[in-house]
Amino acid sequence: MKSKWLALILALILAASAAALLLAPKNGSRARIYKDGELFCIIDLSGVSEPYTVEVGGGNIVRVERGRIRMESADCPDRLCVNQGWSSSSAKPIVCLPNRVMIIVDGGSGGEPDAVSR
Amino acid sequence: MRLPNPRKIAALALLTAAALIIYIAEAQIPPLIAVPGVKLGLSNVIVLTALYLYGRKEAAAVLALKVSLGSFLSGQPSGFLYSAVGGALCLFVMLALKRAASEKQLWAVSAFGAIAFNMGQLAVAAAVMGSDRLLWYAPVLAISGVITGVFTGVLAQLVLPRLRKALDGGGK
Repeated sequence: MKSKWLALILALILAASAAALLLAPKNGSRARIYKDGELFCIIDLSGVSEPYTVEVGGGNIVRVERGRIRMESADCPDRLCVNQGWSSSSAKPIVCLPNRVMIIVDGGSGGEPDAVSR
Repeated sequence: MRLPNPRKIAALALLTAAALIIYIAEAQIPPLIAVPGVKLGLSNVIVLTALYLYGRKEAAAVLALKVSLGSFLSGQPSGFLYSAVGGALCLFVMLALKRAASEKQLWAVSAFGAIAFNMGQLAVAAAVMGSDRLLWYAPVLAISGVITGVFTGVLAQLVLPRLRKALDGGGK
C-alpha cells in the first residue's frame, strides 16, 4: 500500500473529526447530571441567579453558575473531571469515569445565550 | 512441541519489562488534556517493535502482560478493562494492516492502531457509564489517536533497526 493513501485516510479522519467538533451545537442552557447511568437531576443553567453546589453520589461536588457548570471537587483518583473545567455546551461533556458521573449540557428551553427564564 | 528459543524468551521478557516501565513512567505524568483516554501511549512502541521483530503471537503476549501487569502496578486496576479492550482492538487493526504496509509505514500502522485503541476504550467507557452520550468524545479521541499514533509509530520505526541489530541472530 502506498504511503500517500495511508496519509490520506488519516487526514480524512482528522478532517472529519475536526468538522464534527466544529459543527457540534454550542451554547446549551440545560444541564443534566447522570450518576451510574441514571438521570440524577436537570438544571436550567440560564435560570441560576446565585451560584451553588450540588453533591452527586457522595464523591462529586458540582458547581453551578449562570450559564455554566463544572465539577468542583471529586474523590476519584485521576481528577480528570475537575480538570475539565467549566462547560456550557454539548461539545464539552464532563465525565468522571471512576465515579460514573456525567454532566451533559444541551439545548433545552431558552437556548439563546442571553435568554432570561424564570 | 518445539522448545522455544531461550534467546527469544529473554528478549521478549526484556521487551515486556521495558513496556511496563514506560507504561508506569507515563502514568506519572499529569495529563495535558483533561479528556479521559487521551494519552501518549508510548509503551505501544514496544508492542509495535515486538510485532515487527517477532510476530503476532509474541506481540499479543507482550501486550497482554503489559496491560494486565501495568494496570495493577500503576495502582489503577480500574483502567484494566479500558486498556484490555482498547489494546485488543489496536492489535487486531495493526495485524490486519501489517500485511498491507511495509516497515517504512509503521507510523501509519501505529496511528490506525491508536485510533482503534481509543475507540475500544470509548466503547467500554460508554458501556460502564451506561450512556451513548459519551460518543461526543469520539472526534477528540480520533484526533488524539492520529497524533499520538504517528508519534509512537515514528519512534518505533527508529527503535526497530537498532533493536534488531542488538538482538542480532537471536531474533529468529
